[in-house]
Parts: sequence; C-alpha cells; structure tokens
Amino acid sequence: MGNMWYSYVTNPDTAPDYKNPPTFDPLFGFPEGREERTICATREELDRAKVPLKKRDYCVDYYMKFLECRQKHFPRVWSYCHHQIHEWEHCQIEDTVLRVKEWEREKRLKERAKRKAKAESMEAME
Amino acid sequence: MATFMKVCTVLAKHKKPLFCLRRSNLSTTSVLAAFWNKDWKPGPIPRTPEERAAAAKKYGLRPEDYNALADGDIGDYPDLPLVARSWRDPFEDYDLPGEKRNFGEPVHASADIIGADLWDPNADGRYTYGQMLLYCALTFFGFLTAFLVLSPYQYFPPEMPKQYPFNNLYLEKGGDPADEPEIKHYTFKAPQE
Repeated sequence: MGNMWYSYVTNPDTAPDYKNPPTFDPLFGFPEGREERTICATREELDRAKVPLKKRDYCVDYYMKFLECRQKHFPRVWSYCHHQIHEWEHCQIEDTVLRVKEWEREKRLKERAKRKAKAESMEAME
Repeated sequence: MATFMKVCTVLAKHKKPLFCLRRSNLSTTSVLAAFWNKDWKPGPIPRTPEERAAAAKKYGLRPEDYNALADGDIGDYPDLPLVARSWRDPFEDYDLPGEKRNFGEPVHASADIIGADLWDPNADGRYTYGQMLLYCALTFFGFLTAFLVLSPYQYFPPEMPKQYPFNNLYLEKGGDPADEPEIKHYTFKAPQE
C-alpha cells in the first residue's frame, strides 16, 4: 500500500521504472549466485503446439501439460484437467510474486545508491 | 326479534342494498356502445359546425368545449387541457377514485404519462434550466479536469515487467537474429548443485 504516494509524491527519484527491466546487476548482493530461470520446452515444441506468444512465459511447461491433457480428454476438460489448470495458475501467481520482489529489490538498491551518493557528497564537503 | 328488526332498519337506512347498486359499464373510454376495436377508432377531423357538434356529443363534451386536434393521427379526438391527476381534488366523490375520474369523462390523449405518480406538467421544476446547465457543465468539466490532472500519475501494480524465455522472445517478436541480445532471468533462490 502507498506505492502510488511513494512513487509520485514522496520519493519520485528512487521509485523503480515499472515499464522497463531492472537497471542493477541481477547478481549483486547474491554471493552464492542465483538460480537461473529455465523452461524445458524448446522453440520447436512450442511452435508445434501453436502456443501464442502471450503464453510463452516461464510457466509454459505447465501450459503444455494442460494442452496435452485437454487434447486427451476433450470436451470434459475441467473434470480431467483442473489439476493442470490449477498448477499453471499457481505458477503465474509465483511469477507475479517474483516480479514484485524484483520491484522491491530495485527500489531498495536505488535508495541505497542515493544514500551512498549523499554520504560521499558530505565527505567531499568536509 | 325487536333488536333484529332495528338492526335491519338501521342498515337499510345507511346502506344501499346490493340490488340497488348501479351496475353500469365503467369503461375507460368515453365512446360508449363500442363493440370492436374499429368502434374505438376516432373519426375524421370535423369541418362543419354540425360535424363538430356531433363529435362533441360523441366524446361527452359541450360543443363550445370541444376543440379537435388540428394535426396528428388521432382524428377528431378532443384537445383536452393537460391537467395532471395529482392536481385533482382528492376528497371529491369520484366514480373511479383510484383514477380520480367520473363515468363517461373524456380521457386526455396523453393520459398515460400524467398519472397521479407520474409527470406533472403544471408543477414548478425543482431546478431552473440555468441550474441544470450549470450542474451538467460542472460534472463534465470536473471529470475532464480530474482526467487531465491525473493523467501523468497512472496507477500501476508494484511489479517489474514480465519476463519471457528465449531472450524475452526476441526472435519470436521479429528481431534480427544477427544481433540477438542474451538476457538471463533469475529466481531468488541459490543455485542447486
């Protein structure tokens, strides 16, 4: 809550740009490194399944499983495939949570950079 | 027995017996003795005084009160004063109290829109036309001002843009394969060895 107030009124200089990807090094602050996001499906598989570009995100494996189930059980899709649908939706939620975490990381790193710049300028004045 | 006789006498004095009630046909139109829908249709517009007198009698009006509508498609139907039902005396003894109407009384051509709980053409408006225009303009320009002032401050959920595999679908979106960027996306977990 209060993100609009933060971004537009109190701290517009340190608010992350929500329309562009993060500006800082993604591995900064992770001494053990970070696990890379991958998908199992290849381009050819996605093209063969005619997955639209909008759905080719990091949850596309769950979507492919749902497509298989749907092809097998059509038209009783919900009766047989609601587990697959639920898993795909849960993956989308987790993806959104990751994006929110990235926003918060960008915000805190920007605040840190501002703090450091201010401290440096104070030292230079002294 | 004397008590019963007295009760009967008092009732007979204060109540009309059932067989004394008038059982006339309280129709909603003043055109009487109508059998089929063509009988309710108005006739042609009267031109001569004799035709006017006949039309006035047909609608239960005096000839000097009768004034046919000059134009329109309702023929010789009279042009009655547009008086709302709510302006009539509520304590008068009407034949049809619910409609405040007497038997055989001519009905206004627009009677369906001037009912007791409906539009009253004689009532004073709550707002003048100037006030109506002012409030309409205030509403419109208020919303317009809010739109113009708040346009730079768009609402957004606190999220970074969505991440896609294959370098954010660079080739799928029609990028040049020669200078394809390498974009890696990370979770927040440590890598599993």
